[in-house]
Amino acid sequence: MVSAKEVQLLVLSCLIFALPSTGDRPGKPENLSCIAVQEERYISPNITCVWEAAGRQTGFVPTTYTLNVRSNIGMYNVSTREKSATVSVGLFPNHETLDIWVEAHNTLGKVESEHLKEEANWFVKTNPPSDVRVISERTFPTSLLINWAHPIDEVYVKLTYEIRFCPSGSQNWTYVPLVDTAKGIQSFRLQNLQPDTVYVTQVRCKNAIERGYWSNWSTNATERTPEDRPRSKPDLWKIITEDESTARQVWFICKDPVLSNGRIIRFDIKIQDHKDRVKNRSGELESIPVNRSKADPSPSQQKITILKQISLDDKKSVEVYVTAVNSVGKSPEASLVITEKVNELPTVKDLKVQRNGGQLCLEWKPPARPVSEYVVEWVSGSRIDWQREKGSTKNTVIKGSLEKFVSYTVSVYPLYSGVTGKPASKEAFLEEGVPLIGPAVKLKGKPGCNEAELVWNEIPQHSRRGFITNYTIFYTSGTKTHNITVPANTTSYTLKSLSRSTKYDTWVIASTIRGSKRGFNHSFTTLKYGTGEIEGIVVGVCLSFLFVVLLTMLLCIYKKDVIKDNFWPRIPNPGESTIGNWSPDYPLKTETPKENCLSGISVLDVDVCDGKCGSEDDKASLPLKKDKYLSEEHSSGIGGSSCMSSPRQSVSDSDEGGDMADTTASTVQYSSVVASSNGYKGQTPNFQPQQAIFSRSESTQPLLDSEENPDMLLQEGSRQSQHFSRQPSFTHTAGNEDSADPADFNQLEMEQQVLEPLDFCPLEEETTPTDGQSADGLPAALVSSYMPQLGGYRPQ
Amino acid sequence: MNGHVKSMHFQQFMEPAATLLSLLLVMAVDSTRTVSASRNPGCNSLQQTLKLTRLVEKESVDLIKTYKVSQGEMSELFCKVSVNDVPDSNISGLEPSEWIVSIFTHLQAFFPHFKRVYEQQTDLQSPTSPLLAELTTVSTRSRSLAAFISSFYQGLFPNLPVPEPAGGPTTLPPPKNVFQQKVYGCVVLKTYKEFLSNVSQKLRTLKPKVCRRRMQINTLFFF
Repeated sequence: MVSAKEVQLLVLSCLIFALPSTGDRPGKPENLSCIAVQEERYISPNITCVWEAAGRQTGFVPTTYTLNVRSNIGMYNVSTREKSATVSVGLFPNHETLDIWVEAHNTLGKVESEHLKEEANWFVKTNPPSDVRVISERTFPTSLLINWAHPIDEVYVKLTYEIRFCPSGSQNWTYVPLVDTAKGIQSFRLQNLQPDTVYVTQVRCKNAIERGYWSNWSTNATERTPEDRPRSKPDLWKIITEDESTARQVWFICKDPVLSNGRIIRFDIKIQDHKDRVKNRSGELESIPVNRSKADPSPSQQKITILKQISLDDKKSVEVYVTAVNSVGKSPEASLVITEKVNELPTVKDLKVQRNGGQLCLEWKPPARPVSEYVVEWVSGSRIDWQREKGSTKNTVIKGSLEKFVSYTVSVYPLYSGVTGKPASKEAFLEEGVPLIGPAVKLKGKPGCNEAELVWNEIPQHSRRGFITNYTIFYTSGTKTHNITVPANTTSYTLKSLSRSTKYDTWVIASTIRGSKRGFNHSFTTLKYGTGEIEGIVVGVCLSFLFVVLLTMLLCIYKKDVIKDNFWPRIPNPGESTIGNWSPDYPLKTETPKENCLSGISVLDVDVCDGKCGSEDDKASLPLKKDKYLSEEHSSGIGGSSCMSSPRQSVSDSDEGGDMADTTASTVQYSSVVASSNGYKGQTPNFQPQQAIFSRSESTQPLLDSEENPDMLLQEGSRQSQHFSRQPSFTHTAGNEDSADPADFNQLEMEQQVLEPLDFCPLEEETTPTDGQSADGLPAALVSSYMPQLGGYRPQ
Repeated sequence: MNGHVKSMHFQQFMEPAATLLSLLLVMAVDSTRTVSASRNPGCNSLQQTLKLTRLVEKESVDLIKTYKVSQGEMSELFCKVSVNDVPDSNISGLEPSEWIVSIFTHLQAFFPHFKRVYEQQTDLQSPTSPLLAELTTVSTRSRSLAAFISSFYQGLFPNLPVPEPAGGPTTLPPPKNVFQQKVYGCVVLKTYKEFLSNVSQKLRTLKPKVCRRRMQINTLFFF
């Protein structure tokens, strides 16, 4: 049995072991390194050392480090809690062996680091070499001599040096191998440099004996190598433009040789006809001076010199030779051949230009004929550049600096031993962007009612910033916006199905793969009437009006009587009323009573008064009216019986029909003379079949005495008829006035003449001469003022 | 077995042998440097001693210049006057063991004179005068040189007794006036400089023997 006490002890011991201890022995310092730097002409007596402390450090048991340095002449140390310390040895013991170590100790123990037992100069870091100078010698254009001074006397530290150099502006240093720089040297000659090139040189040093610290690099020493004659050919090229004539305009251009080795001061050019060359005749040499600055141009910014321009006939070929000259000498000769246009050598196939990683990559298939060299050319506006590629190349990258959003025409020219072949070209952008400006749209001509033709100009090349993929046309009348997309090769479009007399707002946007740019708005209003519509309408209206006028005129002409009767009814003029005489025995003429005839004899018109005529007299008189008849039956009108023989035609002639009826309907017909079979029996028997003259007034007034007395009437009638014949007048007033022409006069005369022979038949049946009708219808009137009408009165 | 086969064996053996021989030769040539530096403590010690001697010599030259400048007019004449009781600059002994000891002894002899000159110049110069610092430097380095000489001697002649520092105080001349002090100081420094030059010459004569001897041993070893 384990007692409780034992268990307690067991637990306590476990706790003691489990709990972390409050302190440990110090860890051994590791990676001890020391340095002594130069001060003025000597090495500083202060030696600074750093180390790493291994193990765990706790605040309860701090560790103290003691840096110890032992030399031949003494022992020096310094203590610290840090992991670095500086100890002063009084006088730096150059060439002596130093023993350096670190002791770490705390209350729990002490531990030493590894001893650094090395020559004292191993810990030395001197200043960089001073007074570094670079000397250029004209006789050595590819060499520079570097001189410097020891930073410290060699008796203290023997130094070894390291040299590096690079062309000015470049960060690619070239290091001279250490084996090439002997110990303690103070000069060195750089070789295999580029002539006429500025080089930057630096030198540093350290203890020559194995270990030590390199000093810092010295300050830059800069110098330009001397000039040498150009060692490579100038890069000769050409620009050819074709005009309307048969000649080509050729500009010969070139870049400085890659190995110019100096500032080019002139180019010597010789242009020779190809035939002359065959005949061994050389062309004239021409010198073209150039002005270059002393500053080195970077390879990507080589200046292009225009040498000469010539006009070359399409059927001619030339050879050009160019050399570049600097202050030392001439370059090798560059040549170029331009053949006749028809003899242009074959070009490459399937040229592709693509963007890749911020560069333009070209790929092509070589022609069948072997190519000695390719020239890749890129042109933008007035700027041109080119690069050369080997004849075996099938793809390359444009090495020149290209700008974004600029259109380049990239061409590949095959060269066949200096003879230029036909190029293959493509347009390309290094990077496409959104166009700078949008297309300016405007109307072409005038808009119509339902359509309008829009035109716009292509965006200028320098503002496009990419390939235009399409144009989108927008137009709106304010309510709804429509859009139409058209191909990029389109610059016009006709909008259709527009509303009349509506204002439209339109704009066009040009799109590339990067985005779109909107152009300015353009507004227009469609017409209300189309071309010719107004004229058509006007013409139509005019024609219609004319037609109406004509129709009206015709109507007026043909229906003038109706119009006349309706608008200007004929009102008999009592003052012009006449009494006409007729004879019942007189054969009736088939004359139609005229309008202007004396209407002293009137006949009841049944038609006129259909419903109104109810009297029997009227009815009895109806048949009389309708037909021409020669009978002597007439009805009499108001104011007594009056008979009217019917030698004359009744007024209401059936032939005349309604016209006459209409004509006479306006006249007062109030009597008709009914003649007996025995003829008219007048009151006074007259055995002489003389014509009875009957006159009757058309007025509604009672018959006058004169009228009632036929004898008197006959005389009067003859006189009146004569009078009437002399003075044709009309009972109608207004209506007749219009027709007062000679024809009517003649008619009247004829009627009068007709009227004249008409006599009243004396009434014989009537017993009393006073009764009954007078021969002229007035017998009754002779007796009395009124005679009973036989025929009845037809009221008007 | 026919002779042809035997000759073939010999030819087959010759090629790798030649290769090995060439390799050994290269190693032997390269070892002359490293061996002399790292595997030959005596050579290393000699080289260190030589360097230190040159260093002290150079500092003594600078010291004389500084001294002359700090003494004012007629300082050029001071060093031309002879003074007694100043150690000479010659090294005695014919054998290396003898003249190394002589060097060590002479070095030790100069230390009291350095101290005397320092004391005199302390009175004559300002406390911040560079002359005093340089005097201290030369004196300190000379002590280091003495230690190097002793160590070199012990390494070179381990069986010979270690040279002891000079016993008893060096006989110093009695106090003089200022002029005499100036002269005295210049003579001491000048003599010391000449002595160091002799030491350097003597040590250089040892270099071929001390450093090359080991190389010869190594070369014999390889063959």
